[in-house]
Amino acid sequence: MITLPPSERDLHAYVDGLLNDADRQTLETWLAAHPERAKQVLAWQRDAQNLRAGLSGELHRPLNPELDPAFIRQRLRRNRSRHFATAAALLIAVGIGGLSGWQARELTMISGVLPMADAVQAYRMFAVNDNMASDWNSAKPNDVQVWLDQNFAQANRAPDLESAGFKPVSARLTSTEQGAAAMVVYKDTQGRTLSFYIRPPGANNHLLSSGTRRDGELQANYWSGGGYNYAVVSPADDPAAQAARQALKQPI
Amino acid sequence: MNDVDDQLRELLPRMRRFAVSLTRNASSADDLVQSSLEKALSAWSGKRPEGDLRAWLFAILYRQFLDAQRRSRRYSRMLELFTGGKEDHYQPSVERTVVAQTTLQAFERLNTEQRALLLWVSVEGLSYNEVAQILDVPVGTVMSRLSRARQALRLLSEGEITTPALRILK
Repeated sequence: MITLPPSERDLHAYVDGLLNDADRQTLETWLAAHPERAKQVLAWQRDAQNLRAGLSGELHRPLNPELDPAFIRQRLRRNRSRHFATAAALLIAVGIGGLSGWQARELTMISGVLPMADAVQAYRMFAVNDNMASDWNSAKPNDVQVWLDQNFAQANRAPDLESAGFKPVSARLTSTEQGAAAMVVYKDTQGRTLSFYIRPPGANNHLLSSGTRRDGELQANYWSGGGYNYAVVSPADDPAAQAARQALKQPI
Repeated sequence: MNDVDDQLRELLPRMRRFAVSLTRNASSADDLVQSSLEKALSAWSGKRPEGDLRAWLFAILYRQFLDAQRRSRRYSRMLELFTGGKEDHYQPSVERTVVAQTTLQAFERLNTEQRALLLWVSVEGLSYNEVAQILDVPVGTVMSRLSRARQALRLLSEGEITTPALRILK
């Protein structure tokens, strides 16, 4: 049942023929007494009729066979089988890629990832820089081992290289994706520098078997123990450094 | 399945008419119908809701059109960036033979949603609820938009306002 005066919605419903007979009559009586509103409603009705008439021609356009549902179904099926073909090709490609990826991984494990590359990098960035900000230095009351033990539980002892003339002078904590790492810088009286680097084993840094590797003018001696990887990085051709590396070979 | 196709075939002229009223161009209208039918047929197995098939198809078609329009607007903005030109506003086609020329011309100057609304309500006779579902708005919103669309059509047919002034009306 509509109420009077009619709402906007009722007026539109009247124009669109959506009122029941009783409501329509009620509204028509009311409109007869309100010529302004009646004029508007009538104009809306006429517009709607004009639209219906004006757009009716569009219903009689010549058929387009490409729009026939059967044709479209066929096209969809064709596309789908093409998708299947694409998917199959993709699967094969992924398979091949996976296989070669696995092979690549083996290759990487053999030669691709350089063990303790970050140790070498840290040496280049910090160890040779005398202005390196340090978290520990030889002026501190505790020795470097105490400082290391605060940060790395159960780690191997820092190497004692005094027999070769190298003493720890400063140390710095850095971070890796796998957690904290640290570098201890050793110097001898000539100012020659080498570093001891400790880090947790990472994605590409599984625990290492002992080894050495040369990287430019530097040499890295690395090993694992106590859940960490270690490296001593030193100038490769320096005799004092060679002596230090000999000292490293003594059981620590 | 053939029964479905027959229903679709029967509604095809209405879909094409609606598409023309949106695209204002017969051939891109048919492209729109085609992509909408593809969508409808792919969705048929799972999604087709209860209710009027026509309203469901109109909803798909309308959304497809808006998506395409959004894409092409992005494209034309890019084009504008390079050419400095502005997209030509639509000019009603002269060759279309119609009975109610002025009303149709006015209709063609309405915005997309107003054209869709008037076609659904005045020409196709969809219920306000169905329209609300298509547009995903409350019925009250449909009513106020319908009211504005009708007034805009009226004013445009009487030649009282021009397109820029219509903006204020929105």
